[in-house]
Amino acid sequence: MPTRRLLLQCALWAPMAARAQTADSEETWKGLKPMFFGDRSIDEAPGYVTLDAPVRAEDAALVPVDVKFLSREKGDRVIAATVIVDENPSPLVTTVTRGRIDPGDFDLSLRLRVNSYSYVRVIAETESGALHMVKAFVKAAGGCSAPASKDPEEARANAGQMRFRSFAAQSRAEAQAMIRHPNYSGMQMDQITRMYTPAWYVTSVRVLQGDEELFSMKNGISLSEDPTIRFSYAANGKPVRIEAKDSQGGEFSQSFASDGGVL
Amino acid sequence: MTAPSRLRLAIVALIVSVAAASAAPAEIAAPAEIAAPAEIAAPAEIEGYRLDAYQAPVPETLMGRPALSFAEARALFEENILFIDVLPHAPRPEGLAPDAVWLDKPHISIKGAHWLPEVGRGEISAETEGYFKRALARLTDGDLARKMVFFCKRACWMSWNAAKRAQSFGYTHVLWFADGVEGWREADGPMETVTPDP
Repeated sequence: MPTRRLLLQCALWAPMAARAQTADSEETWKGLKPMFFGDRSIDEAPGYVTLDAPVRAEDAALVPVDVKFLSREKGDRVIAATVIVDENPSPLVTTVTRGRIDPGDFDLSLRLRVNSYSYVRVIAETESGALHMVKAFVKAAGGCSAPASKDPEEARANAGQMRFRSFAAQSRAEAQAMIRHPNYSGMQMDQITRMYTPAWYVTSVRVLQGDEELFSMKNGISLSEDPTIRFSYAANGKPVRIEAKDSQGGEFSQSFASDGGVL
Repeated sequence: MTAPSRLRLAIVALIVSVAAASAAPAEIAAPAEIAAPAEIAAPAEIEGYRLDAYQAPVPETLMGRPALSFAEARALFEENILFIDVLPHAPRPEGLAPDAVWLDKPHISIKGAHWLPEVGRGEISAETEGYFKRALARLTDGDLARKMVFFCKRACWMSWNAAKRAQSFGYTHVLWFADGVEGWREADGPMETVTPDP
């Protein structure tokens, strides 16, 4: 329902002033940083990780971001990245950890919720334990409370279904994992009861190639409905297995052929 | 790396939440990127309640009575008239992992205002309606003729809805300050951090 979504973006507590938007977000981050990283120092040194996010999002509940773990000729490669949206009441989107550290780039794209104008930031951790940050300011609002796009019964019936797709045919060394799940944020109004729908979301994801873990994720409620992750991938004949757990104890997994076909 | 112990998180959360309360408000500021509300033709009043897209140009009147100017609202404030803020407020979600960070940012409103979240939505649950009725009865000592001023954000239909709903409960002196928290702040009206009324 694109029309409804558009209306809602205008509707919900959109911080609309140019004034002090980025300053507010930085102020929030000052408070958040110790909650996630204690007193560890974080710099903004280039060359470790990049973040690509829209300046203004069409749909605040589905903001696409691309995170790239850069190749490191001199070592100290990035092993994990935490994605945070400062102004979301629950700011953690996910922490992505690579299962295998190879010298090349590793790209990961996902979709997240933005509740009000905010920096999206990625804090990368390297092999030596150093933290390096990149950030992008995104103008979007209402993403945490926007109604789910599917009705609750349908969402529950299909929760945990998975898709896997390889883009090798398009000459791209990428694949996409999709997990059907309403990923309720707990901030959405139930359209029938007019009460907040309790949070119910995918808390962890693992993607394996054969026995080897490609990456894993630990998520909060700021990841979008139907978590969809696109990532660097080269088929090697071994099947791909996607595993997921949710906040109500649900455990889901499915295996796919190396090229994305059904096993 | 990002799994600090729950204890540490809890302690840090406590410290930060105390610090945040005194920090500059991350309040939503006045519209700068859209035309000022005055430049947009005010829509007519509607039947019933506005059901969605609450933050949008609002009518000039509530049941035919013009919205209060800042000067009028300020005069009522000096008379200690009841001010009611209806900004919605999502509490920490049921079902959110206990160790997940949840930041409840301080809400800075008109000084002395009573904050009744959710009562200005277009459709409300029986529970919310009961909460609204009980809160009004308590705040007015059951006096249906008591003056009250509803507001939320500037150009937000939730305050219009809530004011209209209060009239439907039988309150006869219901006023509406459509410029909301932003209008009050810009005119240097007294403000303070408020918490939702129980």
